Amino acid sequence: MIPGLKWALLGAVVAACVGYLVYSAAGGSSEYYLSVSELRAHATSGDVRVAGVVQNDVQRSDGGLHVLFTEKDTTASIPVEYRGTLPDIFQPGITVVAEGRLGTDGIFHARAVLAKCPSRFATTPYNQ
Amino acid sequence: MIGYLGAGALLAGLVMAGFAALLSFWAGRQENAVFVQIGRRAFYASAGMIVVAAALLELGLLSHDFSLAYVAEHSDLSTPWPLVAAAFYGGQEGSLLYWALVLGLLGSASLIASSRLGLRLAAYAAGILAAIETFLLVVLVFVASPFGLLSITPPDGLGLNPVLRDGGMLIHPPVVLAGFASFAIPFGFAAAALLAGRSDAAWIAHTRRFALLAWALQGTGLVLGMWWAYHVLGWGGYWGWDPVENVALMPWLATTAYLHSSQVQERQGRLRAWNFSLVILAFLLVVFGTFIVRSGVVPSVHTFALSAIGPWFLGFLFVCIVFSIALLALRAGSLASVTRPAPTVSRESAFVLQNLLLIGVIAVVFWGTVLPMVSGLFGQERVVGVPYYERAAGPLFVVLLALMAAGPLLPWRHARASLLRALRWPVAAAGVVLVALLLGGVRSVPALLAIALAAAAGTTCLVEYSRMGLKLRRSGRGWAQAAAVIVRKRRRYGAYLAHLGMVVLVVGLAGSHFWQQEKTLSLKPGDSVSIAGYTLTYTGAEQRRLADHTELVGSMQLGDQTLEPARATYAGLGGQSLTHAAISSTPIADVYVVLAGVNSDGSASFQIFINPLVVWIWAGGLILILGVMLGNVGERRTALELQVARAISPQPA
Repeated sequence: MIPGLKWALLGAVVAACVGYLVYSAAGGSSEYYLSVSELRAHATSGDVRVAGVVQNDVQRSDGGLHVLFTEKDTTASIPVEYRGTLPDIFQPGITVVAEGRLGTDGIFHARAVLAKCPSRFATTPYNQ
Repeated sequence: MIGYLGAGALLAGLVMAGFAALLSFWAGRQENAVFVQIGRRAFYASAGMIVVAAALLELGLLSHDFSLAYVAEHSDLSTPWPLVAAAFYGGQEGSLLYWALVLGLLGSASLIASSRLGLRLAAYAAGILAAIETFLLVVLVFVASPFGLLSITPPDGLGLNPVLRDGGMLIHPPVVLAGFASFAIPFGFAAAALLAGRSDAAWIAHTRRFALLAWALQGTGLVLGMWWAYHVLGWGGYWGWDPVENVALMPWLATTAYLHSSQVQERQGRLRAWNFSLVILAFLLVVFGTFIVRSGVVPSVHTFALSAIGPWFLGFLFVCIVFSIALLALRAGSLASVTRPAPTVSRESAFVLQNLLLIGVIAVVFWGTVLPMVSGLFGQERVVGVPYYERAAGPLFVVLLALMAAGPLLPWRHARASLLRALRWPVAAAGVVLVALLLGGVRSVPALLAIALAAAAGTTCLVEYSRMGLKLRRSGRGWAQAAAVIVRKRRRYGAYLAHLGMVVLVVGLAGSHFWQQEKTLSLKPGDSVSIAGYTLTYTGAEQRRLADHTELVGSMQLGDQTLEPARATYAGLGGQSLTHAAISSTPIADVYVVLAGVNSDGSASFQIFINPLVVWIWAGGLILILGVMLGNVGERRTALELQVARAISPQPA
């Protein structure tokens, strides 16, 4: 046997397995990442993630567990409905990523709302 | 004043580092011992200048010198001083300076004893480390200086986000960053060995401690990050497969592979090209990760301050990739193995398979991380979520666990007929646990595999320990002496302890992953809720006023324990609120309660998680680190001496 052939074969087998796993897993669970106007432009049926800025119309009910708000980018906006606990930094003006789908009622029903986490110690930088 | 001094120190450091790089490469080529020594000293001097700059920045922070933009943006007068001190590495510029500082100190430590590796290798290593340091200092001096001045000195700084006002934040970032920085040391020596045309394992032995240190720091950083996310962010979980987490995981996986495969080279002289590649890969992943995190090219829940350093790191990454590939291609011919290949079933094969699987996991994580970027080039951006990582990486982790159970019991050379005999204890343990879980009603195949294989892997470590103990006991020596042997062979038994820690950690991950329960509901005072056998009673809410914030506390009674989940509101920071989850931990499960809010009718809304075995994750992490420390500290007979002896007289093992 040619030296190294054994391991090359093993590598090929592992690579094929990894390739299959990636292909099957990504095919089943990848989602479009859109801005609000992109979602407006071509509505999709499946789950998507929509990024936009929370507007000043946050309505909470049921002890804060049920939330309605508007997500907006530069041109378009969309009403978002969500049940569950929100990230701490959720408030009007911050950018959030809502994960869910656009219902036939025109409301985006979110399964999850992610806020951009502040990874720096400052709140807002000075404009120098 | 501090600003000018600091900027001056950085500039001087840059000049020194650049000089060290050029001189070391030239002197190494000429084999001029005097100039090699001078080059090394220039690196020390550069490190000294960085220490001065770091001390000045810390002084600026602690003395509240708000004329410095960095100080004004990352601290204020009301913040407690430990957090002000921690702002040193809290921002973009400071964290880069911290990186340069760690590289300067560890680089100096690795160079001090490097001359015994041979003139050329030592000189090139100094040159490469100095070149990396030069890059960091160029960015620090010209692009992202922590000593930038404000035209008007504000009376107070901006302070820091309340999410980051936590003890975990004091230690998590510096540990992760130090881990990132220390990957450069093995890389520097590996690349230097390739440049110098040295394919022996001397560089491995010399940088073993630094590779272990990088691995331990990065591992600790990952566990601390999980701990912080779990205790502070209040979402009931600890790992979200976010790009920022992924880029910290990938170099750690590559180093895990290297720590195992390098043993093959040290013992058998094989896998030389592979080891070079792994160390280079780990370093490239660090640079890639820094680029990803600091440039905002992929959507992440962590937004870092976008600044001009992204393109610089992209350029640096490009240079490093070209340099590494050229180097490997140049030396490919001389790296072929000379000894007989190992038998199919052996320790060596287990290491190779483990390495391939770890590379597979890296590929899975890498693809998930860059998919938004790649798909964005060809149309609409796509992202993958948690299910992708679980489905794609999960099966690979299961096989890795199985290898962890079998690998340590396989002999280096030919497997004797006693292979099944050797594996009887882990197989038995896996069988017993499997039956117990099935009788307990567990039907999830991944959960069954994970827990049973973890039991097998743990048993393997215990068998190794008890075998040594019994052998000594049979030969008439006492337990005290057995313990002494374990301490003497601490590299081996430290590794098994680290394995044991990994097993405990995996059990914790599996338990909390497969059996987490969650309930979201509203309760009136006096109402009870039962979840997974735990009964919680809501007793009422109250408002509390503390020094810099107010807290809305909703008390819950759990047995004779009172849990107080709260929402804190910081008036000073635009009314931002912060969740304080209440966690009741036992080794069986955590009861994790989040207060969502209080309604006008007096009822309160809660999200309650039952997270089984989470404590095992933290315990496992601790054991892992102890194992690494045991294996690393004060090795009596250094591997280098063995290696040098072997290099002089190559012998088929």
